[in-house]
Amino acid sequence: MLVVNNIDVYYGDAQALRELSLSVNEGEIVTIVGSNGAGKTTTLRTISGMLHPKKGTIEFLGDRIEHLPPYKIVSKGISHVPEGRGLFPQMTVLENLKMGAYNTEAWKKKDETIKWIEKLFPILEERKDQLAGTLSGGEQQMLAIGRGLMSLPKILLLDEPSLGLAPILVLKIFETIEQLHKEGVTILLVEQNAHRALDIARRGYVIETGTITLSGEREELLDNEYVKKAYLGR
Amino acid sequence: MVVINSQLILEAILNGIISGSFYALVASGVSLIWGTMHMVNFAHGEFYMIGGYILFYSLTLWRLNPVLGIILAAVIVFFLGIGIQRFLIHPMIGKPGWEHAPMILTLGVSIFAQQAAMLVWGERYKSIPYFAEGTIPIGGISVAIQRFLILAVCSSVIVVLWIVLKRTKIGMAIRATSQNRDAAALMGINPFTMFTLAFGLSVSLASIAGCMLAPLFLINPWMGHGPLLKSFVVCILGGLGSVEGAILASFLLGIFESMGVILISSEWKDILAFIIMLIILYIRPQGLLGIKERT
Repeated sequence: MLVVNNIDVYYGDAQALRELSLSVNEGEIVTIVGSNGAGKTTTLRTISGMLHPKKGTIEFLGDRIEHLPPYKIVSKGISHVPEGRGLFPQMTVLENLKMGAYNTEAWKKKDETIKWIEKLFPILEERKDQLAGTLSGGEQQMLAIGRGLMSLPKILLLDEPSLGLAPILVLKIFETIEQLHKEGVTILLVEQNAHRALDIARRGYVIETGTITLSGEREELLDNEYVKKAYLGR
Repeated sequence: MVVINSQLILEAILNGIISGSFYALVASGVSLIWGTMHMVNFAHGEFYMIGGYILFYSLTLWRLNPVLGIILAAVIVFFLGIGIQRFLIHPMIGKPGWEHAPMILTLGVSIFAQQAAMLVWGERYKSIPYFAEGTIPIGGISVAIQRFLILAVCSSVIVVLWIVLKRTKIGMAIRATSQNRDAAALMGINPFTMFTLAFGLSVSLASIAGCMLAPLFLINPWMGHGPLLKSFVVCILGGLGSVEGAILASFLLGIFESMGVILISSEWKDILAFIIMLIILYIRPQGLLGIKERT
């Protein structure tokens, strides 16, 4: 479904990704684990069009998308829930959700989609007229994910959804991600919390200094001595 | 020293509300542009001036009625603004020097527009008649209908702007872009389209204000100076980028100024505006409705 092939990405003169390749099949949860600054966020930003690779290709459902701007990539069916949530703080919860459905196709179905999301996150219905900036961290993350789903994406890119949340909320967020997966959403999950990520993902990639150093099925990675030492703390 | 009585105060408040509605119309455009594009448009006053000239020629040359003339001015200036944004400002977005470039560019546009207006339309001040003659008596004072029209039109245009920003999909997208441009792009919003629309909208508001004030003051190439300075004051007072704040500050400033005029003398009116600005900024550096910058 999504194939990233040998991309090189730069921030100005500094190279952030080197010959990075990965792929996600329909219906999978795939995770990218790695430490701070390894290039996890850069990878997602390149897929969603915020950055463009200098070399390499990105294919989504057979189309090349690496040169497209983000606002065109959304309508292809890729939704990116950015690190730090990227909410519109001075807009209400409901307005934030509506903006998630900005592209014409999703806009037509937005009322139905909102109902689905309110079922997924009942708290968002309670808070729908509240400004997004006044929500708690957990609620903001739920809103960010909910808003990401409003475009009815074929694949959801999640960047560190557990960042800065209390353990109990982290649990809740990961439960929701699993539930979304059961409902048929394909997910590419970027996480520092390798434990949790490998708990729910079927496959994973390990990223270090801008390139994939290891990849495999969940069990393979969990058994790998290096992964255990470096990322699972065992 | 004048004797202050209740009629004088009523008149001052009424005048304050009227000038407040006018400040609000000019300033909400400045604020909208600051909020969405993070730039100051120094040529804002020139769009106000061009609005005045378009109305002048609509009335004298084409013999249109004032309503059509104002609509024509708003539409022409809207597209003029879109053109300037698209061809002059757009190429600089995201390039190094964005902090200063738009300031210098719009200052250039401002000087160009003033000189061009002088060459094309001449140095002589032009006047147009009031849209309606007569006065309305209120509680013992009489107010010219023209002044009421200013209040009515400026307030209604602001209400329409408000509804557009709060209720329509495009308006919401403009607000989303101003609050988080990257996230807006991830939602499928083309931020550059929103910049262009916001710019067109902003200068179009200035042109309507120019039309409404044209009968009171003479139309001339430099008429945009005063309103531009005042709108900076109220934008800063209200909190940069907050359209609500700018509107609130406009009415407050309008009333303060006209009260000040009866207490001190009218030459001090403009100084008063800046004194109020300094005092409020001393107490609330982020402005009345501004949000503290999070670092």
